[in-house]
Amino acid sequence: MTECNPLHAAHYPDQARCTTVPIVENGPLARDTHRVRIQCPEIARTLVPGQFVMMRLAGFNDPLIGRALAVYDTFPDAVSQPAGIDVVYMVKGKFTHRLAECRPGQLLDVWGPLGNGFEAKAVDHLILVAGGIGQTPFVTVAQEALGHRQYGTPPRSNARCGRVTLCYGARSADMLAGVGDFEQLGVDVQLATEDGSRGHRGLVTDVLAGVLRGSHGSRRILCCGPERMMQAVAGVAAQHETPCEVSLESPMACGIGICFSCVVKLDDGQGGWDYRRTCVEGPVFDAAKIRW
Amino acid sequence: MSDTVTVSPSSVDLRVQLGRLHLANPILVASGTFGYAREMEHLVDLGRLGGILPKTITMAARPGNPPWRTVEASAGLLNSIGLDNDGLEAFIEHHLPYLAGLPTAIIVSIAGRTVDEFVAMAARLDREAGIAGLELNISCPNVSGGVDFGTDAGLCGQLVRNVLSACRIPVIAKLTPNVTRIADIAIAASEAGADAISLINTVQGMAVDWRKRKPILGNVLGGLSGPAIKPIALRCVHQVRQAVRTPLIGIGGIATIDDVMEFFVAGASAVQIGTANYYDPTVSMKLLDRLPAALSEAGAASVAELTGTLQLPARPSADLPSKPSGT
Ligand SMILES: Cc1cc2nc3c(=O)[nH]c(=O)nc-3n(C[C@H](O)[C@H](O)[C@H](O)COP(=O)(O)OP(=O)(O)OC[C@H]3O[C@@H](n4cnc5c(N)ncnc54)[C@H](O)[C@@H]3O)c2cc1C
Ligand SMILES: Cc1cc2nc3c(=O)[nH]c(=O)nc-3n(C[C@H](O)[C@H](O)[C@H](O)COP(=O)(O)O)c2cc1C
Ligand code: FES
Repeated sequence: MTECNPLHAAHYPDQARCTTVPIVENGPLARDTHRVRIQCPEIARTLVPGQFVMMRLAGFNDPLIGRALAVYDTFPDAVSQPAGIDVVYMVKGKFTHRLAECRPGQLLDVWGPLGNGFEAKAVDHLILVAGGIGQTPFVTVAQEALGHRQYGTPPRSNARCGRVTLCYGARSADMLAGVGDFEQLGVDVQLATEDGSRGHRGLVTDVLAGVLRGSHGSRRILCCGPERMMQAVAGVAAQHETPCEVSLESPMACGIGICFSCVVKLDDGQGGWDYRRTCVEGPVFDAAKIRW
Repeated sequence: MSDTVTVSPSSVDLRVQLGRLHLANPILVASGTFGYAREMEHLVDLGRLGGILPKTITMAARPGNPPWRTVEASAGLLNSIGLDNDGLEAFIEHHLPYLAGLPTAIIVSIAGRTVDEFVAMAARLDREAGIAGLELNISCPNVSGGVDFGTDAGLCGQLVRNVLSACRIPVIAKLTPNVTRIADIAIAASEAGADAISLINTVQGMAVDWRKRKPILGNVLGGLSGPAIKPIALRCVHQVRQAVRTPLIGIGGIATIDDVMEFFVAGASAVQIGTANYYDPTVSMKLLDRLPAALSEAGAASVAELTGTLQLPARPSADLPSKPSGT
């Protein structure tokens, strides 16, 4: 049904589970940035890089609506099976302020894994570009591309990449979160901060342009961050004739395709455009198809 | 309803009748809050639902409003989706075959800009199999350019009458709370012969970003839904129940079995679950699990035995000064 019906999105939540699960750990990772670890083996076993979950405080009506959060990584149980997920979040508004105060044992409603995620593709040089809190979907991508870990049930094919670079921009050094996690995996990390407190002083797009100039062979750019930054990265990618996919952070209310909140203007392939649901057709889109 | 009568949960009859519409149980999912149902196939046992109302369709495709389309409010959600849909024919071609194959009642929600458009849509859908009912969405606050059938009793009556004569499918009128006297609109729908009346649609509202001095919703105004509006919805069901005998479907902030039971007592024969599907995707299943025991606890062998059993206080005695409500 899904495959043959043009009005049915390709990524309905057919693998998703709705669970109420406890927090295992929750603590700061960088300025205004925390990591929460939750026990949810079913979600951890099936997810693939780039998918997200919806999360809310169980039993509370304010905040009411779930928040979409990228899966930072899975963590294993005693026998090395996926036991749950880590989520890295920036303390911003209603939900994340409350979440930052939560102790282990606090129950969360979590549903997922959701969305399409990034396809596994072997290229010579995989370039990840992150701004703000946009690094979160890339740990799993790097794990997979560098052959450290497989994801999904059954585990999806391991498309090894020759080299993985992360271009990561933030306002200042203290807001960079998880840089060590990437370095440990063997990712070549290139930083940019607006105030110059670490790495290149300026924008991540400057760093990206430099990386592209020094890169050879087949390339692929994956990008996540504020919309303006993704648009700029898409522009740089187009200049360098490099395929670019972006993971959008559209405002969502359900994450499962039933509310039509999360729409993005997408080329319809016939010279026009249509609003499409980010949660069931994305969040990962070919940057060239987005009408920014 | 008597405290002495005992009804075991297993003997409770969940079936309900809304005019010509017969449903296996009174738990339905509201239009616009359940996509086209295929999305929920693996999260919910669709066949257990009393009925499914797919997202409202219009004659021609509509892109809908620009983002932001939803923003959270306290215990509620503001939305201005703007009837984003691919139009009647695309619905019939791509969504209806799937829906019609489900073992539950499919109630198609339609919105037109004119009486003629509503009538043409009803007549077209009448030719299709597998549709248990039509719900006339005459209450969507997000669509400009249309006639406001939901706020004018005369127009509402005329619309219901014309649609009823254009099709054989049972017809439900869905009302907006954004009127001074909702009972007047309900009376018009009832006198025109509507099989049932759904209430309520969302309550008009807005959200402001004071730092940017801008509205947050792309469409400026939106509709409030969720637990925040339950008291308004209950009030509407109560007031309409006092005015008409037409079966009512309660909608607005329903998320728990207590909410469901409150709507029955206030006068509803069935309920639709809306926003709760978003933040608790399996809520409809939980409500169905709990309904027999709740009816049993109320001593009701069926929903009909509970509907409208609200016991109002005796009229205030003449020596008390009469106060306007809310003060
Ligand atoms: C697919 C996806 C993955 C995401 N992954 C992560 C992640 O890994 N880590 C993370 O911290 N966040 C992530 N987000 C964003 C997250 O869903 C929340 O928006 C964010 O956590 C703020 O929630 P809050 O309740 O704290 O703030 P709110 O009270 O909801 O809002 C705080 C402020 O942020 C604005 N805002 C809220 N949501 C958005 C949005 N989606 N886009 C732009 N502005 C917004 C509001 O207008 C307000 O000014 C993701 C979003 C999507 C769609
Ligand atoms: C995002 C959103 C979209 C909606 N779309 C429709 C629609 O297309 N047609 C309709 O009749 N009602 C629509 N509604 C209204 C709901 O069906 C329901 O009447 C209302 O939300 C109140 O119920 P609730 O508080 O349980 O959500 C929509 C509501 C929301 C929140
Ligand atoms: S968030 Fe509800 S449809 Fe995408």
